[in-house]
Amino acid sequence: MTRGIFTPSRGGWALIRSTWLSWMQYRSFFFILAFGWMIPPLIYLLVWSTAAGEGSISGMTRGAFVAYYLILILVNQITYAQTNWTVGDLIRYGQINKVLLRPIPPLYDALASEFAGKVVYLVFVVPILVILAFVLKLELDLTLLNALAFIPALIFAWALRFFWGYWLALLAFWATRADALLALQDSLVFLLAGQVAPIALLPGALKTLAVILPFRYMVAFPVEVITGQLTRPEMLTGFAIQVGWMAAAVILYALLWRYGLKRYSAVGG
Amino acid sequence: MRPFRLIGSFMRASFQEDAAYRTNFFISLFTSLLNLLTGVLGILVLFGQIDSVHGWTLASTLAVLGVYLVVSAVRGLFISPSFDSLSGMDGEIWSGAFDFTILRPVNTQFFASFRKWRLFALLDLVLGVGVLVAAVIQLGVVLSVWQVLFFLFMLVVGMSILYAILLIFAALIFWSPGVLFTWVFDGLFQMARYPANIYPGWLRMVLTWIVPVGVITTFPARALTDSITPVELVVSLLLAVVLLAAASILFRVGLRKYASASS
Amino acid sequence: MENTIIRVKELTKTYRVPVRAEGLGASLKSLFKPTYSEVSAVQAISFEIPQGEMVGLIGPNGAGKTTTLKMLAGLLHPTSGQVSVAGYEPWQRQPQYLRRISMVMGNKSQMLWDIPPLDSFRVLGEIYSVPKKEFERNLEELVQLLEMKELLTKPVRNLSLGERMKCELTASLLHRPSVLFLDEPTLGLDVSMQLRLRRFLADYNRSSGTTVILTSHYMADVMALCPRVILIHHGKILHDGELGTLARRMMPFKILRITLKQESMADNELPELPDGVEVLEAESNNLNLRVPRDEAAAITAKLLETLNVADLTIEDPSIEAVIDQVYTDGGQ
Repeated sequence: MTRGIFTPSRGGWALIRSTWLSWMQYRSFFFILAFGWMIPPLIYLLVWSTAAGEGSISGMTRGAFVAYYLILILVNQITYAQTNWTVGDLIRYGQINKVLLRPIPPLYDALASEFAGKVVYLVFVVPILVILAFVLKLELDLTLLNALAFIPALIFAWALRFFWGYWLALLAFWATRADALLALQDSLVFLLAGQVAPIALLPGALKTLAVILPFRYMVAFPVEVITGQLTRPEMLTGFAIQVGWMAAAVILYALLWRYGLKRYSAVGG
Repeated sequence: MRPFRLIGSFMRASFQEDAAYRTNFFISLFTSLLNLLTGVLGILVLFGQIDSVHGWTLASTLAVLGVYLVVSAVRGLFISPSFDSLSGMDGEIWSGAFDFTILRPVNTQFFASFRKWRLFALLDLVLGVGVLVAAVIQLGVVLSVWQVLFFLFMLVVGMSILYAILLIFAALIFWSPGVLFTWVFDGLFQMARYPANIYPGWLRMVLTWIVPVGVITTFPARALTDSITPVELVVSLLLAVVLLAAASILFRVGLRKYASASS
Repeated sequence: MENTIIRVKELTKTYRVPVRAEGLGASLKSLFKPTYSEVSAVQAISFEIPQGEMVGLIGPNGAGKTTTLKMLAGLLHPTSGQVSVAGYEPWQRQPQYLRRISMVMGNKSQMLWDIPPLDSFRVLGEIYSVPKKEFERNLEELVQLLEMKELLTKPVRNLSLGERMKCELTASLLHRPSVLFLDEPTLGLDVSMQLRLRRFLADYNRSSGTTVILTSHYMADVMALCPRVILIHHGKILHDGELGTLARRMMPFKILRITLKQESMADNELPELPDGVEVLEAESNNLNLRVPRDEAAAITAKLLETLNVADLTIEDPSIEAVIDQVYTDGGQ
């Protein structure tokens, strides 16, 4: 696979479209899945907003918690990585050949599933979030700067999560059972990506970990940007760390893809 | 004694099946511990910022989590595995092997409920009990025998409600192939990790009396921490009885439908 | 009959099938006012089977044989009629009844997949409350009869189809049922395995006195095993009795195969044949003729006189031909 990874092509678009059509057929299945993913952040939304009550916790009022979590759900939905199932399963069940034989880089396959799936989920999720925003009385102080900064933060977050998930999925070339690793990854995302609590509310050691590790930058960071929780220096440091992890993820992906393929063809497909 | 011998036989066969499948014991232990840790940490973070919410403290909330873990463990021990082998995605109703099940001289509901065991869930059970004990210690009260018995009683009531709800979902397979009900319920059941009182009023009502997940986890915890009013006790007991009866009846009606309509 | 174990009277099974509509308008209408059509699977059939008999239920696909079998086993509720098996009404599914019957289905398995058959057998022994000693004895006997000692400890998913069927039969007989229902038991098995299983079934039926009801598409099974055959077509019984009698009734003919000396036949010119003789095949110096059974002797004598016969055989039509005729004609 010596093709460049970012060459757009007609084949790539066709793939995305066909994947989208087949996913739309299983609408109800995906809606239920999306519903399931929304519940945990909603639980914490309710818990924290109840805890804040009339006052505030660490500067966040009830309305602020509502805003934080609803946007978190949206960002989570946009950045969630399905590569373990799209790529990882292909490798595990020996079907990676079918993808390798296509004249389109396998990366497109994964990307196609990404976009197709996300559009379907968002069709379901966005209206619900809008309704909840009214019902729960969301409070958001939106500045132009924050709104503009949100866009790159979101894009980088998606890219980071996508490639991070991809390189982890490529571990399937070496070990067929990656359950433990995935479970660990899920827990870390849960704790350190802003779901259990906004990062600012985490106790000392955990907060430091969250700032250093990549998970915050996959979900919470864009949310913090747009809800105005960060000072200008904090935002800049955040972007720096985010881009740094993103680069690391891409490098890991490229390395593992090359060595994984070598090993795969050596071992025999 | 025959039901117990039968269950023993089912447990042994299930254990052998799991062993043949080489389900990794250590991975199961690891994921169970991870689940536990994230649950507990979530609560710790919350109560690191505030002292109590609607009267619920760290200790009492931890107790609810403990009950949730215990209940989930029992569910994963035999209720879910058994119902899944009946109405789940690879279940008997789909493969047609259900015909054999109704040929057996064993009550079909009993068979469908106890047939498959996932003994690794005992790990989760131990961990859940551990959290409960930790919560009780944190509460700093000395429990009387009556309180413990009362707690166990409410736990059984809660478990019966859970069993009945899952049986209803399993029975629905005779009418509609959708497996989606259980998933939706699971989402709502997640809310039962926290005391029902923590949620806003309307949601608390829904979670207690409409989709009674609150009764399943919060009530037993309340039996340990404060008292449950006699009204709540009677109503939850009635709810359990009614749901169990309704579930059994629905299952039996479904069986009849299967025997009349299938070819 | 004193030892009648199965009594069936006017047994009927009718299904209400929702009519599936074509097009949007019709679909909407069917949502609010669903219409049903009635499909008749079994129509008022009656028969009695004494204890220990081995009966074949035959008929084309969709004739109603599996439906009948399932009603006898208690898996299906009849729409009307009476059924009594071993003194019980099957669809009541009383435990005492279920303990006395057993069923094997050729296309479904009752074994647990990932573990050795022995473990599935043990669970069944517990389910049917077979006392330990008796269980060991029955198992030993069946393992011997079916020659499956080495199979006992291999996981079921590693067994071949034939080996699995041996396990299914063992599983079904561990509790010594009085009645055994077999639905296509030799489906997909190779010829030698079919023979072996047939031998087993015949021996077992003889030695244990178990009543056996068998459905099969393989005529060889039915011919080898069933002295009595019930032919069902379009939900009705067309024949209940010996297979040979069926053949004689349905196709009262004999087949004459004649080989003539040298090229006695000019091309496409048939020799003169008596009335009632039907030519099935005529090629070079071979003739296949069909003659009415009663006249077979006379016609044969006539032909021996008039034709230059080198070889002549007289046969009954094959069972397959008979059955085929019945299936396609609907038994006129």
